[in-house]
Amino acid sequence: MTEMYSTLFGQNETQGPAGSSSLGFGPGKPPPPMPQNQVSMTGQMPAQLGDEGPALRKPGAMNEPFYLLRELPVGNELTGNTNLITHYNLEHAYNKFCGKKVKEKLSNFLPELPGMIDCPGTQDGSSLRSLIDKPPVCGNSFSPLTGALLTGFRLHTGPLPEQYRLMHIQPPKKKSKHKHKHHRPQDPLPQETPSDSDPKKKKKKRDDDPDRKKKKKDKKKKKVKIVKLENYSFSHVLISARFCFWGRLTDNLLIMFPTFESK
Amino acid sequence: MAEKFDNLEEHLEKFIENIRQLGIIVSDFQPSSQAGLNQKLNFMISGLQDIEKCRQQLHEINVPLEVFEYIDQGRNPQLYTKECLERALARNEQVKGKIDTMTKFKSLLISELSKVFPEDMAKYKAIHGEDAPS
Repeated sequence: MTEMYSTLFGQNETQGPAGSSSLGFGPGKPPPPMPQNQVSMTGQMPAQLGDEGPALRKPGAMNEPFYLLRELPVGNELTGNTNLITHYNLEHAYNKFCGKKVKEKLSNFLPELPGMIDCPGTQDGSSLRSLIDKPPVCGNSFSPLTGALLTGFRLHTGPLPEQYRLMHIQPPKKKSKHKHKHHRPQDPLPQETPSDSDPKKKKKKRDDDPDRKKKKKDKKKKKVKIVKLENYSFSHVLISARFCFWGRLTDNLLIMFPTFESK
Repeated sequence: MAEKFDNLEEHLEKFIENIRQLGIIVSDFQPSSQAGLNQKLNFMISGLQDIEKCRQQLHEINVPLEVFEYIDQGRNPQLYTKECLERALARNEQVKGKIDTMTKFKSLLISELSKVFPEDMAKYKAIHGEDAPS
């Protein structure tokens, strides 16, 4: 068995790798005839080993009876054996991004940026990729516009056409939990009959009418519906205001036109 | 390094705000707004000059192109960082698993070879040492 092992890894340096000549790599003497009781393993030797043989071998005297012996890797080399996230002090970043759910949309990353930024940039030609692929043709310097150049920016009065205004749509924000409790003083609630105003009659009614409670409940439901509708109309005004003038401007509008509030 | 980014961020925010105000002026233009419009236009140019100056400070910063793809798709670019870290950790664990397996295989092979070829393995250990690094 020892002989077989020696045959596999070669007896001496001068003969060259056993597999190299048989596989047709490099010059060398033909392989010595195999003893009859041994099985030829040269065919199983990887070609790479035979190819790299001379560079990997140590002097034969040192590695007797081995050759094709690689030097072992240095122990302190940085490999995948170590936790590379810890090694590069990225635990904080890992915990920050992988510890909790990161919101999907770009507007969550840039909440202050106006406009619809969650739409794909390829739709309106605002993609960064197109900026790289087709860089804009422009000069190297930016110079302020003088009086003559500014004449080109004289605009017509009036609002922008609808199709251009749509470019500045603010994404609809989630409804805030804060409920608007601005009730109109003249709510179209079911009016009380003059008979209801009389406390004596009321008492009588309460005592007499067993379906009083049910009716009251129905009235309450109607009230809620009306209030909800009012909220809807109010929020609708707000949203439409945002639609036209962007989110922040709405606040300005509320300041300028407090009638919105009173409504 | 962070100061450079802060500087750029500040200029970009100012620039965007100026553009936003410009949009408001233009959306319902009045004759009296012309002076304001001209001023905003020149602010825009000076803003671009400021951003241009920041470019020199950030010349060595490399941004992966995949981040741009995330932004173009309207996705949060932090997701890219997250996925990178998760991928790195997964690969790290895979490689560690392979290294551990190969280490076990090596020690098992050496022990088995030592049983069959005691003399040769003694020579091998003499060359590589008893506790050869894995």
